[in-house]
Amino acid sequence: MTILLPTLLILLASPLTVGLVRKFKALFQNRRGASIFQPYWALLSLLRKDMTITRYSSWVFHTVPFVVLGSTIALAALVPAVPIAGTYGNVFLIAGVLALGSVFLVLGGMDTASTFGNMGSSREMSLIALVEPPLFIVFASLALFAGSFGMGDIIAHFTSATAGSHVLTAVTLIALFFVVLAENARYPVDNPATHLELTMVHEAMMLEYSGPYLALLEYASAIKLTVLGTLFVSLLLPSFAASGTVLALLFLGKLILAAFLVAFVESTIVKMRFYRMQEYMALAFLFALGGAALIILSKLSGAV
Amino acid sequence: MLSLLARIIKTGTVTEQAPQVGSTDIEVTGENLKRAITRLYGGRSLRIRHVDAGSSNAEEYEMTALGNAYHDSERFGLSFVASPRHADILTVSGPVTRNMEHALRTAYDMTPEPRMVIAVGDGACTGGIWAGSYAVVGAVEKVIPVDAKIFGDPPSPLQILKGLLAAIEKART
Amino acid sequence: MDPLLISRLFLFALATPAFAALLGLLLRRVSWSNTLTQVLFALSGLVGLGAVALLALEMFAGSLSSLQIGGLGVLQPLGVPFLGIIYAGVLLTSFYSIAALAKYKEIYVLPWLNVASALFLIGMQAVVLAPSVLTFLLAWELMSIAAYFLVIADRTEDSLRAGFLYFVMTHLGFLALAAGLLILSGGNPLLSWAELAQGAATLGALPLSLAFALLFAGFGSKAGLVPLHQWLPYAHPQAPSGSSALLSGVMLKVAVFGFLQSLTFFPSLLFPWMLVVLLLGLVSAFFGALHAAVENDAKRLLAWSSIENMGLIFAGIALYFLTSGTAALAPLAPLFALFVMLHILNHFLFKSGLFMAAGVIQSATHTRDLDSLGGLARRWPLFSGVVLALSLAAAALPPLGTFFGEWALVQALALGLGAGDPASRFTALLVLSSVALVGGLAIFAFVKFFSLVFLGRARTEAAEHAGALSWILATPVAICALLSLGVGLVAFPLISGIPVGKLFGAEVVVAPGAGIDPTLVALILAAPALALWLITRVLRTKIRITDTWDCGAPLTPRMQYTSTGFAAPIRFFFRTLLGARREIITTPVVASNPWVTKKHLDWQIHSIWEVWLYKPLGHGIVRVAHSVRRLQSGVVQFYLLLVLLTLILTLFIAL
Repeated sequence: MTILLPTLLILLASPLTVGLVRKFKALFQNRRGASIFQPYWALLSLLRKDMTITRYSSWVFHTVPFVVLGSTIALAALVPAVPIAGTYGNVFLIAGVLALGSVFLVLGGMDTASTFGNMGSSREMSLIALVEPPLFIVFASLALFAGSFGMGDIIAHFTSATAGSHVLTAVTLIALFFVVLAENARYPVDNPATHLELTMVHEAMMLEYSGPYLALLEYASAIKLTVLGTLFVSLLLPSFAASGTVLALLFLGKLILAAFLVAFVESTIVKMRFYRMQEYMALAFLFALGGAALIILSKLSGAV
Repeated sequence: MLSLLARIIKTGTVTEQAPQVGSTDIEVTGENLKRAITRLYGGRSLRIRHVDAGSSNAEEYEMTALGNAYHDSERFGLSFVASPRHADILTVSGPVTRNMEHALRTAYDMTPEPRMVIAVGDGACTGGIWAGSYAVVGAVEKVIPVDAKIFGDPPSPLQILKGLLAAIEKART
Repeated sequence: MDPLLISRLFLFALATPAFAALLGLLLRRVSWSNTLTQVLFALSGLVGLGAVALLALEMFAGSLSSLQIGGLGVLQPLGVPFLGIIYAGVLLTSFYSIAALAKYKEIYVLPWLNVASALFLIGMQAVVLAPSVLTFLLAWELMSIAAYFLVIADRTEDSLRAGFLYFVMTHLGFLALAAGLLILSGGNPLLSWAELAQGAATLGALPLSLAFALLFAGFGSKAGLVPLHQWLPYAHPQAPSGSSALLSGVMLKVAVFGFLQSLTFFPSLLFPWMLVVLLLGLVSAFFGALHAAVENDAKRLLAWSSIENMGLIFAGIALYFLTSGTAALAPLAPLFALFVMLHILNHFLFKSGLFMAAGVIQSATHTRDLDSLGGLARRWPLFSGVVLALSLAAAALPPLGTFFGEWALVQALALGLGAGDPASRFTALLVLSSVALVGGLAIFAFVKFFSLVFLGRARTEAAEHAGALSWILATPVAICALLSLGVGLVAFPLISGIPVGKLFGAEVVVAPGAGIDPTLVALILAAPALALWLITRVLRTKIRITDTWDCGAPLTPRMQYTSTGFAAPIRFFFRTLLGARREIITTPVVASNPWVTKKHLDWQIHSIWEVWLYKPLGHGIVRVAHSVRRLQSGVVQFYLLLVLLTLILTLFIAL
């Protein structure tokens, strides 16, 4: 049950993250923007619609929303919203589940016979292939730092670590931020608000989905953003991850911070050209390697 | 970088004052629209896919203006989407040219029910000054069923909002 | 169980293929001769599997440490799992070949093809059973030659060229093996393995190193390790699909067996050489995965992926020996061993399954070009689900078996970041990065493979009118997929449950941090089910079938992404490592007007090893040959002089 409650918290709160990101972006643009609860209404209204589906799709197309939803819920369960001590939520299992969800989304984009869907799939797949090395290195170095492969243990270890050791993980966290932006199809990798098919990655794969299927997919990507965003905030500002009676409140604080970070990045930088993605990923990889080297050296010298 | 930031802070906001909530026409119409959308689907969210069926692009300028900081239609629950499959409402502008006839039909076909079609601008409502030309089919209703029309060449953002409101009110009754 | 009975079962499994092939040859005018041969092959596989199971039970109980097979050979514990894989492969592929080969009666000369298959099967078993140097080399040569006839079975020009390349490479490998083993045995080919090991223990560092290098080159060339891999992606796809499955799924494992067996002769000296094995393993894995990601030929993509997986297995073996020798790292060694074992099994399952699936697709559409397939999932929903499972296994995604094997690998590497001296920690970091990159590229390759073949619309008429699916063809593929899934479902509790310390003789924390809560699994499964129930029962969402969203310009199947287009980003990101060559040939349509032109894009991917290693080497050999030719003056006195000089030289050396 200790796992169930935080997971449900994430599942309930995730559309709020999307609403908060949009609200912060609106504020950056001097607009007032929609209510932060708008995504909930949007999802509900999608559920009430019928579906139109292309005649060229197969059973794979119908499976995709469910597998993607299942894998993101697994993600929400494996990355606890609050630290649960113990060897729970293996980091490499998390990496595998992340990849599984992305792969099925890619299959959905390929099963439409649409050039846009195919293009989004090809790009997303290339990003997944390149994001694996930094992702694995970041996870391995976090595990090394905390002395456990459990994500719960890692978060708990951050709350109790000294200030000096936090500085050591800074480089790894930069790499993690790169990875989080790429995994969630955010700037500078992808533009989530674009209407131009040729600039799309994530959206292009969902162009052919409608009604409840679309709701499932949008909900799944909201969960993914929430999980990875709050994970980053928990590691960046571990005091937010402290366990106590005000857990829900602290989780809300994490949400707001994560949404603000994403909105800030999206309002201040531009999207990169897709064919320069290897530079972005190489940078992420270098940060990940540097962070890992720092942690290894500090472990060797007994500093941590 | 720093000098730029300093300048931004020193200059302050020089654009015209944003309208007060509940005072101007836009606000009132918008709030009414928000309530109408809520009652329509119980969803408080309306996704629009715009189809340009050969317009002079005047309508598109006005529709774009709906999203700017002044009108900010997002706060009323409106959003523009990238695919007709995601849409609740198709807005169509222009006197459906022969080349765009097929595109309009497929876009309508792919919009899932419940759906609504709104013709925006004189060209889309009647064919406008192009009516009768060999290159156009004419008003949108000659191609697909139209639920409401918003006249004007082009209609202002406020008129578009009011037209949307009227269309939704009509659909509910 | 009586050891004699088990050994008789093995003898039966060894002899039946020969009998079956002879029978097929005698009855070649009869229409069911191929079926008879294949059924007998399958029978030998079944009996062999039974014998392996019985022997494994005896060995686990500790009542038997090795088995004498008649007067022919000795089966050591190491050989048992490999024999199991051989027999399982025979069982699956011969069942498949009953229907698959019947479709190609005009192309293949079936009785003789079956003779080659039988010799191949006997050769592989004999390699595992061989008790001495000479029998091992003979069995190895039998396996290689028989494989050559499988590669050239359809007698097309492509096959002959691929077969020639294979023939040359495999004999270079054979020479290396023979030389390496003869160095170890002191020139006596009749030594048994035990005598060989005794003799090798007395050898100095230099001959041992030389022998190791030669043996590694020999086994590595068979397993497709860079830089001796060039033949594999050409040769494996040319064989009939059932044989391709055996070549890639089983024969490569025999090479791994040979390598593992030869490692027992090198008690010392392993450490520096294992670094070389690790490096070449990782380089092979990377190039295999990269070429698989950009390959357009379905079967060749699978062959490249075999290079990738063989690279990972050799890297795993190297890591096992590197860690087991150091006290600080020894606890990690069982995890690497676990990875190697699981990966050998998983790779056999998914690669055999995928090669047979590629054969099914090829026989129905008459093409293996990914650019001209598509849309088969609507035609064959069940079969596409089977291939999807196999593709996910090949991409090492949960919950398929391969994921859990690679999990042990990455986990051990991550543990390696925190153990041992600085050098080993940073090595672990680099190895982990390479493994992650290889994993990412493998996911790319197999998502491409599945979606180009099965999803969207058929890109050509041939794919559009793919025929019906025969269940005899599909069943072995489905069995592979089910077993792959089964390994995934079993492997996880097995990894956490088995006391690995007992199995591998060292204490280790297995998969720390892997605890999975049952409530969690229930939640993950319940949520999509709930969503499905909501959509179909509560909301009763209506589905309307329309065209694909085309923005107004009607889409044709040709507008879909091709394999070439899909891999474009990867080709661009890794362009310096791929040696791609593109050329636009412009020919004017009207002679008087240079502006109206027809453009033709000629575009090819070369292996950089071919460009930078093979071609210069070939040119070098030719140049040397040219200069040596000057000796052939045709003057008798000159030849006599040469003979005299040789004699003097020999006398000098002898004295």
